[in-house]
Amino acid sequence: MGKLTIGCFSSLVGSMSLDFAVKLAAAAIDKGHKVDFWVSGNGTMLSIKDQRSFKDYSSLEKPLKELMAKGLNVTACEACAEARGYHKDITMEGFKRHSMDWYLASTFSADRVLHIGGE
Amino acid sequence: MKLAVFVSDFRNTVDTLDRLKPEKLGVILVGNGVYHAVIKENGAPSPVLKTSADFYALAEDLETRGINTANVKNNVKVISYGDIVDLIFNDYEKTAWL
Amino acid sequence: MATTKLGFIVQRPPYKSENPKLALTHAIASQSVEVYLNDGDIVTAEVAFIGDGVLNCLKDQKATEHYDISSTESHIKMSLLVDVKVFVCKEDLAKFGLTENDIVMDAEEFGADMTVSVVPFQEINKMMEDVNHLLFF
Repeated sequence: MGKLTIGCFSSLVGSMSLDFAVKLAAAAIDKGHKVDFWVSGNGTMLSIKDQRSFKDYSSLEKPLKELMAKGLNVTACEACAEARGYHKDITMEGFKRHSMDWYLASTFSADRVLHIGGE
Repeated sequence: MKLAVFVSDFRNTVDTLDRLKPEKLGVILVGNGVYHAVIKENGAPSPVLKTSADFYALAEDLETRGINTANVKNNVKVISYGDIVDLIFNDYEKTAWL
Repeated sequence: MATTKLGFIVQRPPYKSENPKLALTHAIASQSVEVYLNDGDIVTAEVAFIGDGVLNCLKDQKATEHYDISSTESHIKMSLLVDVKVFVCKEDLAKFGLTENDIVMDAEEFGADMTVSVVPFQEINKMMEDVNHLLFF
């Protein structure tokens, strides 16, 4: 089994690229792969806890928590989050925050990298 | 290089696709990129499909957009998320999301 | 001791999208990645501007003066300062009627030795072959 690093810079609401990334992470974990998941730019919106779920907007907190319980390693760019007012106290439990070098370090040991740019 | 390219938009990706010259190219149509697999413009199929590549389209994203998976072009294979995982681990070495 | 090479491909113009700046800031982060790795292991970054992305490289950007944000130009210079290789597609520059005189070519004022390389797309394809992973922005 291998390691997949996914980076996603798209916003939670509006592009559905984060939905794709989370579903792909789930499929990879189901097949026994290790998955690192990095969000940066508008993608850091994913890290906020207690988002209210409406059918008109993508909502990924529930599947993300299930994946984290299965070993998904998920980290947000701290500067990108802080710039948007997404402070540590409103970050989902288990969602890490690091500087951008974390993402690059993750690629070091990754067998495959899928980088999904933002809007 | 064996490269899997993800096409997630319906427009503006042909130029970059044409310029990539990997030994093996796979084009995985996801998001709005799946329209390339079925929509004809003035009777002509998408220019994306003229690229020399193996083509795949994500079933969930086709169905989400009201497209019957039976209607995709013959040279496009309809696949699942699990199939994408297998493709990028087993058939290609690098990925590019255009 | 091992090296992982990353290729950052920028294909969008600046400012309207955050992508080009994030490509550069992530590439610059290759300088501090060692804190997460074993001794001797490194991650290197190379950046290529292609298509509309070459417009990021125009010099004399005044984003700081007008919007109080750092310019993409300054991030390109910072990349050169930390020895990130920066390529600009020659054909795409020519397509827009631009030459090396119109774009950032060095960061001499910061003491950077590295300079921008204007190269045919064929060279950028070679870079993409050479790196371990590609990141399109």
